[in-house]
Amino acid sequence: MRNKMYYLLLVPFFLWQCQKDSGGSYTKGTDAGQGGSLARFAIVGNYLYSVDEMQLKVFDLANPEDPVLKSTQDVGFSIETIFPFQDKLFIGSTTQVYIFSITDPANPKKLSSAISPQVLRRCDPVVAKDTVAFATLRTTGPCGGFQSVLAVYNIKDITNPIQVATRPVGEPYGLGYAGNVLYVCSHENGLLLFDITQPYEPVLLNTKINDGVYIDVIPYQNTLICWVSTGIILYDITDNKNPVLLAKII
Amino acid sequence: MRFPHHAAKTGQRLSYTQLLHMRRLLLIFSTSFILYSCDPGRNALTGKVDAYVPVYNSLSDVQKISVVAQQPTLLAGKIYAYKNYIFQNDLNTGIHIIDNSDPQNPKKIAFIKIPMTSEIAVKGNYLYANNYVDLVVFNITNAANPQFVKRVPGVFSATSQKFPTASNGYFQCPDVSKGIVIRWELQNIDIPNCRR
Repeated sequence: MRNKMYYLLLVPFFLWQCQKDSGGSYTKGTDAGQGGSLARFAIVGNYLYSVDEMQLKVFDLANPEDPVLKSTQDVGFSIETIFPFQDKLFIGSTTQVYIFSITDPANPKKLSSAISPQVLRRCDPVVAKDTVAFATLRTTGPCGGFQSVLAVYNIKDITNPIQVATRPVGEPYGLGYAGNVLYVCSHENGLLLFDITQPYEPVLLNTKINDGVYIDVIPYQNTLICWVSTGIILYDITDNKNPVLLAKII
Repeated sequence: MRFPHHAAKTGQRLSYTQLLHMRRLLLIFSTSFILYSCDPGRNALTGKVDAYVPVYNSLSDVQKISVVAQQPTLLAGKIYAYKNYIFQNDLNTGIHIIDNSDPQNPKKIAFIKIPMTSEIAVKGNYLYANNYVDLVVFNITNAANPQFVKRVPGVFSATSQKFPTASNGYFQCPDVSKGIVIRWELQNIDIPNCRR
């Protein structure tokens, strides 16, 4: 079972809902909540998008008690994750990332077959903020690559991300930002903080946070919700640069 | 399936299909022998190897959903935030509901038992989760006592039925007649009949 769980952990590819700041508002101004990562479910507006191994499915939630499957389409093989960004869906597979437009939300349309896996591979969790995207590229597990890094992309053209910087990070998993601080889960190496005041040039802060094995984070209002191997750890991030331990949930 | 040596005993000529069976058996035996001789993990004394074995359950058990008191976290899974609540999947067993109104003192208030689940999304007091190949919906207006409201059956595919996703290697071929594969367990067994 534990092996199975770790397999799930090794295949993330997600992009956080782009919000001007992560605190406060719910996704897309709707009454949906906020997901962490590794997601195969994403709610945008009145629609639930899901991916299973080969297909993208759209459920209409107009009547929330009675989801209606509106469309099913083949995407490719070994689909792992889905993430919404603006009016797009990014769908990660073992070989590439498919980009769909959800301008017509019930009928996603494929825009681009892929972002080159050399640029942005499917195993790489991503968060986006305005015109910058941050991704952790991990070399352990089935993702390949040569060095585990935090990579920074210019995404002014979302279908053509351009890598503008990298920072070495040991075994990175999920990530998220609040204000000008980017939180990067580095598994047993702790939670790393980067100053992203200049987003294309993140600066590693000296803050040491190491209360567990970090897998993913959701910055949520003034709380940083961390998924750790034992459950959840909460930090107060009223001061983004100085998370204060609030509680552990096991 | 009839075995070819039965035919030989009764003096009948081997049919084409029986010959095919023989060839298949030979192929299986020779492949097994090759695998046997190649695997450094094999214990030559016991003739057993470590391989994943499917664990079965009935569809009715897999679809059994209930709301119970809060439970310790076993296999911490995906997280989801909604209003003053945090939800955490416990891989393949259910969803922890945490009241986070006071972040210094978050409280687990309930656990939704859902077999074979990994995903969570919430919108407007409704929680959506997967349950094997079904989409299930809960009304969480009272988060301490979620109400099951809907099952949309058969909308997801079940890849774990075909092979253990945890590893590439030996495994026992699943037998659909035995039920739904709820998990794969690593066991030390005689020659496993599948590999990927």
